[in-house]
Amino acid sequence: MHSIFRKNRLLTPYWLAFACAVLFAASAAAAEVPLFKLVARDGVFEPAVIEVPAGQRVRIEISNEGKTPMEFESRDLRQEKVIPPGGKATLTIKAMKPGEYRFFDEFHEKTGQGRLIVK
Amino acid sequence: MGNALFIVWRESAEAMLVVGILYAWLRQRPDAAVGMRYLWGGVAAGAALALVLALIMLGIASSLSGNALDYFQLAIMLVASGLIVQMVFWMRKRGRTFKKDLESSMARNASAANWWGLLIVVALAVGRETAETVVFLYGLGAEKGGIADLPIVLVLGVGAAFATFWLLQQGSRVLSWRMFFRVSEILLLLLAGALLVSGVEKLIALDVLPTLVDPVWDTSRLLDDSGRIGGLIASFTGYRARPALLPLLVLAAYWAVVWWSLGRAGRSAATRAVPAPATPAGEALRRAEHR
Repeated sequence: MHSIFRKNRLLTPYWLAFACAVLFAASAAAAEVPLFKLVARDGVFEPAVIEVPAGQRVRIEISNEGKTPMEFESRDLRQEKVIPPGGKATLTIKAMKPGEYRFFDEFHEKTGQGRLIVK
Repeated sequence: MGNALFIVWRESAEAMLVVGILYAWLRQRPDAAVGMRYLWGGVAAGAALALVLALIMLGIASSLSGNALDYFQLAIMLVASGLIVQMVFWMRKRGRTFKKDLESSMARNASAANWWGLLIVVALAVGRETAETVVFLYGLGAEKGGIADLPIVLVLGVGAAFATFWLLQQGSRVLSWRMFFRVSEILLLLLAGALLVSGVEKLIALDVLPTLVDPVWDTSRLLDDSGRIGGLIASFTGYRARPALLPLLVLAAYWAVVWWSLGRAGRSAATRAVPAPATPAGEALRRAEHR
């Protein structure tokens, strides 16, 4: 395996860039973060619209109460998570600017649509 | 039904791109038989990886707690991204110097290591997205009335994947070898960049990295990355309608490094002119290259 990395000068800056980015990252503590609950049931979000405060980090707890697995996905929120039936997942959402951010259930795209409204 | 099919095809397209390009490339080589074993070994390992990942996602084999699965997927993305870039450069180099490589035993040892790299990159490409397809199909089977659709979706989905593979092989015949290889390189490098962006965004989602500025701009009116076409472009190029600054900078740095390295690799190859291969197989390849 060693020759893959030894001969390649390209990968060195590639991984270095990563290490630097991780080092510079300022990960703030997750204390006192408001929690919002979202239930997914075979392609139906309850509630389909969530309102959260702007400029503040929030957490969203998604419970899959349906009979089928779901995938919470949002390019706007940069989240992607498969949740099995009966499973739960908590996602941390960064402080966002006011606006509308869409999310959907990728495994039930037709009906599983929701919005996060940041005010 | 159509939606289910589209999902199965989209999830398999990434694997087909990597496997299809490597297959077309290997077929032209004198040591194709060896490489094919590693290629199909990688496909088998990828299928096994997909199954394990799917079981974990479904919570059936839930030994990974909390964010562990996220970090595991993140590692797969980043390693796959790096290895795809590595593979492009390796294919380039081997395309030029294969005869010399075959003759020197030292190079043969080095290439054995690269065959394992090939196996890993194929396994990761196949395993990564196929896992989600398995979970999706499991869900389809568990749905009311969905079980009837399952065999049809499965057959058509696998058919669509093979059509993608076949199209790639036709491409390698219709286009000149040089042209096909150039297009392949671009597609693979775009994919590696997209994986890198997804990896950085996953790190942002996991609260490891900051966004810096979010979003830098909004082009969702021009091309929405949540739509079908926009979504496809996003997964294969790293396009985002509302990009944050950090992934943008990482992608720009990635392309700068790749561009610079490709230029340098091209120059050094030009100065070290390779003598024309003398074996019949080598001659055929040389002709194919100049076609």
